[in-house]
Amino acid sequence: MTNMNEAAPSFAATAQTGKPDNSQFPTKMTVRDLNFHYGDFHALKNIAMDIPEKKVTAIIGPSGCGKSTLLRIFNRIYAIYPKLVATGEIVLDGENILDAKYSLNRLRSKVGMVFQKPVPFPMTIFENVAYGIRHHEKLSRADMESRVEQALRSAALWDEVKDKLKQSALGLSGGQQQRLCIARGIALKPEVLLLDEPTSALDPIATSRIEQLVEELKNDYTIVIVTHNMQQAARCSDLTAFMYMGELVEFDRTEKIFTKPNKKQTEDYITGRFG
Amino acid sequence: MASSHIYAKRRIKNIVAMVLSVAATAIGLIFLAWILWETLSQGIAAIKPQLFTKITAYREEGGLANAMVGSLILNTLGILIATPIGVMAGTWLSEYSLRSRLGPIIRFLNDILLSAPSIVLGLFAYTIIVLPMKWATNGDITFSGFAGGIALALIALPVIVRTTDEMLRLVPSTLREAALSLGVPQWKLTVQILIRSARSGIVTGVLLALARISGETAPLLFTAFGNNFMTFNPLDKMPSLPQVIYEYTKDPSPDINTLAWAGAFVLTMFVLLLSLTARFAFSRSKVSHD
Amino acid sequence: MHASISLPVSPARQAEAARNARDARNDRVFGWVLKACALLVLASLIGAAASTLWGGSDAFRTFGWGFLTSDAWDPGNDRFGALVPVMGTVVTALIALLIAVPISFGIALFLTEIAPSWLRGPVSSAIELLAGIPSIIYGMWGLFIFAPFVAEHIKPWLMNTFSDAPPDGQISWLVQHVPWIAKFFSSDYPFFGAGVLTAGMVLAIMIIPFISSVMREVFQTVPTRLKESAYALGSSTWEVVWDIVLPYTRSAVIGGVFLGLGRALGETMAVAFVLGNTFKFTPSILETGSSIASTIANQFGEAEGLQKSALMALAFLLFVVTFIVLLIARLMLRQLGNREGR
Repeated sequence: MTNMNEAAPSFAATAQTGKPDNSQFPTKMTVRDLNFHYGDFHALKNIAMDIPEKKVTAIIGPSGCGKSTLLRIFNRIYAIYPKLVATGEIVLDGENILDAKYSLNRLRSKVGMVFQKPVPFPMTIFENVAYGIRHHEKLSRADMESRVEQALRSAALWDEVKDKLKQSALGLSGGQQQRLCIARGIALKPEVLLLDEPTSALDPIATSRIEQLVEELKNDYTIVIVTHNMQQAARCSDLTAFMYMGELVEFDRTEKIFTKPNKKQTEDYITGRFG
Repeated sequence: MASSHIYAKRRIKNIVAMVLSVAATAIGLIFLAWILWETLSQGIAAIKPQLFTKITAYREEGGLANAMVGSLILNTLGILIATPIGVMAGTWLSEYSLRSRLGPIIRFLNDILLSAPSIVLGLFAYTIIVLPMKWATNGDITFSGFAGGIALALIALPVIVRTTDEMLRLVPSTLREAALSLGVPQWKLTVQILIRSARSGIVTGVLLALARISGETAPLLFTAFGNNFMTFNPLDKMPSLPQVIYEYTKDPSPDINTLAWAGAFVLTMFVLLLSLTARFAFSRSKVSHD
Repeated sequence: MHASISLPVSPARQAEAARNARDARNDRVFGWVLKACALLVLASLIGAAASTLWGGSDAFRTFGWGFLTSDAWDPGNDRFGALVPVMGTVVTALIALLIAVPISFGIALFLTEIAPSWLRGPVSSAIELLAGIPSIIYGMWGLFIFAPFVAEHIKPWLMNTFSDAPPDGQISWLVQHVPWIAKFFSSDYPFFGAGVLTAGMVLAIMIIPFISSVMREVFQTVPTRLKESAYALGSSTWEVVWDIVLPYTRSAVIGGVFLGLGRALGETMAVAFVLGNTFKFTPSILETGSSIASTIANQFGEAEGLQKSALMALAFLLFVVTFIVLLIARLMLRQLGNREGR
């Protein structure tokens, strides 16, 4: 399934931070001293991790551990709500995206996001994909059409919808809607794609299509996926981060996390002793 | 022994309460039926073609055509003024006031405006429209359809604000996040996605507002005032159905009273049909109207 | 599969900066426009208060505090006092509450606990239909239908029982033994249906749907497990409602009652015909009277000078009183809103 064995990099996780020595992979995003507060609640504590380029990084942990919160900082979507404060730094291509000066437009064209439940916009299938592009680029009609087609093909949805592009996206099945949302995200040609439990609302068949898609997309994108499903993390990620109570407990090659984790907490979680 | 006595007492108490409760409901329904029945029977008896073709200037020989046209114009004015303002204000409450301390205050005050006495809002419109116009035109224009429209808009405004706010808050926040994560600016998200999603609920609110203002009389008395002739000019004094019903009810002539019943019938049917449409056509978006 | 998207080329920084600036500006302007509209809500309330205060300033200045306590309403001699219309407003509203609150409670109880579920929808829609009927229709119905009904069936009975000048000539035991009661039930025109009581009853019918729908809604917020555990202890329906539901929803129920009170105080057309519009000070609820709103509706069109100002002053009083009542209502109801949450 995954090709992590080919690379077989030797990770030596530094026990203190749970941060793997990933010198084998070029790093796309570097997280340092990341803290997150919601009012008085300290939701994330001193997170540090290096997210490698064009790999799939899975974040797992029991509910409420902060895994979704962490993901939602990577594109600063949390900032639309009051009382949420993130401190520390997240360096993407050499720049700190938490810096207020870092433009949200640029950040969101570079970092795409797909949510837990499919959220198609109340417009046609074509418009759903074209909507985001329009905001960032001025394209001719023909260019737009080919761009939309490309995105839908990449999301493995083209064959199913090519005859009904002008129909409302709300008529698609849940799995199709979710792939449409992925298409919408990659239509902006982002570099990083964030997936927040993208299959939790889908049936097993739709889920396996999305997992297959993730596998294909990692050739072009750096993918971070939050999942509550350990098998999913094991199946489609190269690296896995285990979080608990707002802390990053362990971050290592998926194979290692699932076979011989360094931390007892990780092992307990993996083997189903809690969470 | 003692306990069975307690049981009997409790059971009787319960039965009495249940009977009274059913009786209370019956009383409510009886009055509804009574009012509707009188409006219907007296109104239908008074319906005649000239009602819709002749104007009030002919008194007993006339109809209510100018009043109906006036009502249509006044209601349209009121809704045209209140809808954009109300939708925008409701949108601000729902989408932009998250970080503003003013948000909850305005939401709260809007609920108060919702039940404020309409006659006072009419006097407000009188003060800000009728008086300045009178002054500016040396008395040529005093009462006007425009002033009536403003008065009705003041009454429609809080209804539209509240439903827009409520309907937008029903839109799942993931939709906002999905659009924002594409880099779409908030105003585009609001106009192109959120308002579109909440559209049917917002339309419901506008219909409810229309139903509400269609029956308003008091605020029109000193703004639109009334007119025995047909007018389409919003700067003229303008008649309306409720205002003519009011005048005709006070009138000593029974024939005029009969015309008032006919007007009451038309008005009631219009208002009830409107609120039924609002309720059932968009029943999936639940709206409260209090 | 055709995963053939080329890696993104970072867009020209300059164009991006321009776009950022444009977005930020548009967002700001859009936000301002929306906020201005929201502020209009605030402006309407302040404006309504300010314009009536300004319009009534002449009357307030001329009569001072005496305006509130004087029962004069004499346009011929330019003497005006608020006492009679204020009394009429308050008394009709209180009568309305006295009638409407128990009936509304009964309806809410019926709709939440007693009625079979297939009946609940239709009955509650029917009751809410009452709220949709324009108030002028209530006024007409009150004048042509209900006032004669009161004159024929209700008033004679009340006068026979409570007044010292009963139509049947027999002074009742009650009147003989309770000295002051006859004052509240005297009437110079026994066969005239209009009056304070009739107006209060019409108002009661008008506000029943408001109070009952609030009560019904708040009763429904009581957690089922709470009611079930009381039923499990053997409580009767009435005991569950009285001991569990009412205490749990108390403040919201009071809020609903105040909401109805606010409506009743400000209502114009339903009472304009059946109150009689007289300005004689009397404690009797069978006599005619006047309310603030009906006085304004009847007189403002022809009023000039000090009379107009006195009417504006009345409107200001009405606005302030209803504002306070509605403020209390909404504060009480907020508890409910908070519980439902966002």
